[in-house]
Amino acid sequence: MGGVDVGDGKGKRSTNADINMIPFIDLLMVTVAFLLITAVWVTNSRINANAQIPGPPDPTKEITPKTPEKVLNVNIEAEEFVLTWRQGSVVASEVKVPRPTQNQEKPSYPDLAKKFEEEWNTHGSHKNVDDQTVDQAVLHARDNMPFKEIVAVLDALYTPKREMKIDNDVAKVPVFNMTFSIR
Amino acid sequence: MADRYQNNREHNPHAHVIHKPGRRLMHKIPLRFVWRKVHGMGARSPNANLNLTAYIDFLLVTVIFLLTTFNASGQISVPKEITLPTAENAEDVIDAPIVSLDGNQVFVDGQYAGSAKSVEDRLGRIDELFAALKTRRENWKTLQPNKPFPGVVILQIDQETKAVVVKSVFQTAAYAGYPNVSFMVTKGK
Repeated sequence: MGGVDVGDGKGKRSTNADINMIPFIDLLMVTVAFLLITAVWVTNSRINANAQIPGPPDPTKEITPKTPEKVLNVNIEAEEFVLTWRQGSVVASEVKVPRPTQNQEKPSYPDLAKKFEEEWNTHGSHKNVDDQTVDQAVLHARDNMPFKEIVAVLDALYTPKREMKIDNDVAKVPVFNMTFSIR
Repeated sequence: MADRYQNNREHNPHAHVIHKPGRRLMHKIPLRFVWRKVHGMGARSPNANLNLTAYIDFLLVTVIFLLTTFNASGQISVPKEITLPTAENAEDVIDAPIVSLDGNQVFVDGQYAGSAKSVEDRLGRIDELFAALKTRRENWKTLQPNKPFPGVVILQIDQETKAVVVKSVFQTAAYAGYPNVSFMVTKGK
């Protein structure tokens, strides 16, 4: 049945040797079956957050008093998102974005993502490619809010991207890093 | 043509049992014109050769594709009870301790690490989780004293969990020395 034609020999004996391909095909089929069964089709990903806890002071470095940075505070209210830029305790600007009523299964806020980008363009302080830090966002979520809502807001927060130099390579990174307000 | 089907019968001891493969249809009828008729007047060879090359090529490509996508370590088991939230802007999972919240129970890399019952209504610290994570951090530092500690922990939390529980676990992990907390999500829209 299975054979590979290796051409027509013109010499004394035929070079038309039959290689039995059946075990080979069997092996291939078994490998395909095994790999299909063990394949992972749904890959999990992660969405990053940072607790912004300062490490122990480095004794080799001198402590320089820093002026507090502008931080974006995101308040998730029942009907709107309140985006407030604060520098220390000074409120620099405040914007309200209506919170659309969603299908409850998979919430997503594309309008909020656009607003985040606009806000960062006006107020963001880390825009240079060489700048290794990103702007900070603090998320204020109500205690009874489902986790998926938080992730939806986080997803919107990480939608705007900027270029950053990492190890002589320019990579696209989200413009914000998020932390929870622990109150 | 008749010889083709009857040759060497006398010399072959198995001839009456095993016949040379070939045309069988009506070959018992010892009439040449019948055979000729059956065999299509000798117009084409009855020996059809199935070309397997394309089939083997296809199988090989499939094997190579599956081998390249094969990842033995990337498989992180998510308990059936946990439905992860979906997010678009997510990164790949890295090797880090996984804190999963299954109902009220907290697990660190599959090992029980306390209950989240105490933080269901009030933000607080889960002491057992704190201790488990702290031990892990100390172990890591003992094993790799010269490397900076990455401080990454991945939280595997159901999408319906209340924010207060998420915040408590987050806070506990941060206090235990893991400031870079990631949430595990399913990538997609």
